[in-house]
Amino acid sequence: MQRLPKIVRVLAVISFTLVVVLFAALIVNSFQNAGKPLTTLTPQGPSSESIQKLLVPVTSIAAVVFVGVLGAALLISWKFRERKDSDPDEFPEQVHGKTALEIGWTILPALILAGIAVGTVMTLINLNREEPNSINVQVAGQQWWWQYKYDVNNDGNFDGPEDITTATEMVIPAGRPIQVTTTSNDVIHSFWIPGLNGKRDAVPGLRSPLKLQADEPGIFRGQCTEFCGLSHANMRMLVRAVSTSDYDAWVKNQLKDHAADPADPTALAGKKVWQALCAQCHVINGINDVKMKETKPPLVSGVAPNLTHLMTRGTFAGSIFNLYEPVSSDGSPLPMGDVAAAGDPGAALTGGRVNTATVNRVTLEAWLRNAPALKPMYPQGGRGMPNLNLTEEQIDQLVAFLETLN
Amino acid sequence: MALTEDRPLALPSGGSDDGYTPTGVFTRPTAETGVRSWFTTVDHKKIGIMYGAAAIFFLIIGGSEALLIRMQLWAPRGTLLSANLYNQVYTMHGTTMVFLVVMPIGAAFANYLIPLQIGARDVAFPRINAFSFWAFLFGGVFINSSWLLGGGADGGWFMYAPNSGVIFSPTHGIDFWNLGLIITGIASLTGAVNLIVTVLNMRAPGMTLMRMPIFTWMALVSQFLLLFAIPVLTSAQVLLMLDRGFHANFFNVSKGANPLLWEHLFWIFGHPEVYLMILPAFGLVSDILPTFARKPIFGYPFIVFSGIAIGFMGWGVWAHHMFVSGIGPISVTTFSLTTMFIAVPTGVKILNWTATMWGGKLKFSSPMLFSIGLVTMFTIGGLSGVMHSVAPMDSQQTDTYFIVAHFHYVLFGGAFFGFVGGFYFYWPKAFGYMLNESLGKANFWLMLLGFNLTFAPMHVLGLQGMSRRIYTYDPGYGFEFWNKVATIGAFTLASSIALFVFNIFYSRAKAKNLPPVGPDPWDARTIEWMIPSPTPAYNFDPIPTVTRVDDFWYRKYGETKDGKLVRIASTAEVAQQRTDGKGIHLPSPSYWPLVLAFGLPIAAYGLIFSLWLALVGAIIVVGAIYGWVMEPPDDPDKAHDDHGPDAHVSDGGDAAVPETVDAVKEVETVG
Repeated sequence: MQRLPKIVRVLAVISFTLVVVLFAALIVNSFQNAGKPLTTLTPQGPSSESIQKLLVPVTSIAAVVFVGVLGAALLISWKFRERKDSDPDEFPEQVHGKTALEIGWTILPALILAGIAVGTVMTLINLNREEPNSINVQVAGQQWWWQYKYDVNNDGNFDGPEDITTATEMVIPAGRPIQVTTTSNDVIHSFWIPGLNGKRDAVPGLRSPLKLQADEPGIFRGQCTEFCGLSHANMRMLVRAVSTSDYDAWVKNQLKDHAADPADPTALAGKKVWQALCAQCHVINGINDVKMKETKPPLVSGVAPNLTHLMTRGTFAGSIFNLYEPVSSDGSPLPMGDVAAAGDPGAALTGGRVNTATVNRVTLEAWLRNAPALKPMYPQGGRGMPNLNLTEEQIDQLVAFLETLN
Repeated sequence: MALTEDRPLALPSGGSDDGYTPTGVFTRPTAETGVRSWFTTVDHKKIGIMYGAAAIFFLIIGGSEALLIRMQLWAPRGTLLSANLYNQVYTMHGTTMVFLVVMPIGAAFANYLIPLQIGARDVAFPRINAFSFWAFLFGGVFINSSWLLGGGADGGWFMYAPNSGVIFSPTHGIDFWNLGLIITGIASLTGAVNLIVTVLNMRAPGMTLMRMPIFTWMALVSQFLLLFAIPVLTSAQVLLMLDRGFHANFFNVSKGANPLLWEHLFWIFGHPEVYLMILPAFGLVSDILPTFARKPIFGYPFIVFSGIAIGFMGWGVWAHHMFVSGIGPISVTTFSLTTMFIAVPTGVKILNWTATMWGGKLKFSSPMLFSIGLVTMFTIGGLSGVMHSVAPMDSQQTDTYFIVAHFHYVLFGGAFFGFVGGFYFYWPKAFGYMLNESLGKANFWLMLLGFNLTFAPMHVLGLQGMSRRIYTYDPGYGFEFWNKVATIGAFTLASSIALFVFNIFYSRAKAKNLPPVGPDPWDARTIEWMIPSPTPAYNFDPIPTVTRVDDFWYRKYGETKDGKLVRIASTAEVAQQRTDGKGIHLPSPSYWPLVLAFGLPIAAYGLIFSLWLALVGAIIVVGAIYGWVMEPPDDPDKAHDDHGPDAHVSDGGDAAVPETVDAVKEVETVG
């Protein structure tokens, strides 16, 4: 056997070492989940916790098996390598197989898997058990944002006068189970809040259940995970878990319709612009009561997020932009800010005053100026917000009006 | 067998001197060498080589798409590709790699090797074999022509309804994808029938099923999977074609359709598809490891039956792709359990390969390194597969980069490593020169590094929440670092592929000054190594009689009762000499497979742009079928002097088998 050129041997050593280092770094990094808002590895609700309880042992078994196979392959490769001085006419013992071994290593993995199967089935039963006293929320995906309907009076109907229709952000009370029903108004999407549970596809024409529950108040990010066309990457979710009292206040506020005209003349002018242009797709309860239209959504998008209580949300545009500060981690107020740090509506969440000083006007104005430039959409096909060619004056008026929508 | 009647199956030999033109269009082609011969060839070896060359061509396209994806994801909010273009690029990357790279490389090996490993002169239907290749090539070119005609498909390779509908994807990209894959599906289906018939009917005397080399076994299982899986995909695609082109409502939710119909149909095809891509590579490794361990494969029957078991169980696991789609807890539990237990036969294979190496005298040639690479890297993909079979875990991992990592460990770390090992192993047999070993080993180590740098970080990216199929990600989610590592890895991987291509040309240039490579450069085991390299057109002269597994090995070596091996003959004594092949009856070249396959994309362009063009395509197809039918399978003027019985029975053949040999000869002419 001829000797390899040195460079190939060096390459082999470098390559092998780097792969080992890479694997070690990956294992270490999988335990470093701080500052990773979408991680599946720090569960914060009963469902995700029960998944984690399965993940740890199963992954450990898989790791042991892998180390075993890799170790065996390396050990065997070393131990049984052809030596330079070996007699070319000498051959190893010709073993054709051992039936007992074969049967052994057929049964052993089957037994390990049977153990995993027991844990799997028990977790599945647990994840699918209905919780008493849950809040029913219907989550509908639509290119490229999420609509949430709360069955507040628990009559099985999500569109009654006692119910809430909102968008982009889902507000839940911490510690209480939420029974989510996913569906879609156009293509298949997937609703996923990794901190709280696994995902559930939102399929048009189907209603699928998913349990959510947050142990503590907090913000839980999500990302649509079923490819849903052009702006799939920009279809995010945000779950705001709040205290029970804040939740009750939030519900009470959400049930209010838009009442009087704003006193500020700029905002009033904005309302006129809104009624002339935005109302074709958006809804503000009390202005253009299109709840009836929303109960029969066209299967191509045509219904845009309900804006009745826009300013109670910290983010907008499919939760990809902050409606409030913090805009980005380095304080830069430019569009496409760092939304990993979600905007905070403050008191406005429960219907309190909108702190206009913290509103992210730059991005909101940029959005009104030319929405498709900030988020790829398909307005000519009726999906997503078009460029309305608003004047700067109209934009100022609209922002003033929108800031009244708490 | 009925086929052994005396009358020839072909039309009677005519005495015409002026060329036989059954439809008045073409004279029967006669060239056996030169550029033109490649267009009309029906030789399984040339077809196999063309499959391989075309697959490497498409690999460069699909690989370039992969590099574009990785460059886009190098940093948050990449701006290299628009959302629209990114969606096209990732869709076409997946489609190209699955249908135009991994499947055809499997077909390349199956075409080239199966007749050689079973001791046949060619496949059962040589012209259909040529048609399969041309239909695959034209289908692949057709799909990629969408780049020049309005953009590629943008619905993902899985093309879920209703996003694949004309409302949501109004450009023609998905039409190209759909019709192109219907064409390559026809190619796969005819190829599968052909190879199944070949294996079942055309084995050399004494080559019982349980004496077949494991590659042939695994390729056979793959062909059965193709035979049953492709029609499911084609059915779904015809529904999609009717929806998109003719206003049908199979996937129109507002008319009451259930979009899960497409998901079920796609994955009933899609999961067996995974196994049919990986099994040929398993087969190659099962032949390479014993050669370089210098001992027989451990547990031949267990390797074979575990492959068959994977083939059967592969049909009962499709809905694990749909755990979160809302199919209900009973279905989820059922498919969770079936998926777990398909790991058992896969594990058996890995342990048998390890046991084959145990106690051997291991020679670390390039093919061996790639094979060990498969055993270890595929194990990672297999274990992450077990993790997904646990449905609750899958509900977190599905559609994240963890899945991207998983199936690249299966299809790249598994199938592709096996294929590259196979290229290094069989290169001398196919082309008559060895690929440079030093470059081969450098190739291996570079590929191992690039592969792991690219795909290992995706495990962590996925577990930490990075979704698949996103053209952008924001800063602040912790995705930056590992995406950079993966992009560096992708370029390392690309350079290892470039090194492989370089090695081909470098070694060919060097080989001019080296002595010709003998029939058996690796001291290998199966009968394809007893014939000259490169393989002569007629394969075997005479057809050998097979007495056991690894027949060629035991012509060279004898085994004592206590398992000791002793050489009983030199390779030169037992290898076949190159002969002039005179009197050996081979199928003749034909234009018709090429013409018939050419009609298919024309008809498909017509379905997209103008039904008149579809009519032209249909006329070409029907005309080609007519010409094909009227053309005798063999040139009436050639080589019909060879119908004497027993003329080519091997020396070792005893009197019991000549009938079979005769039958084999006759079946050859049915194509």
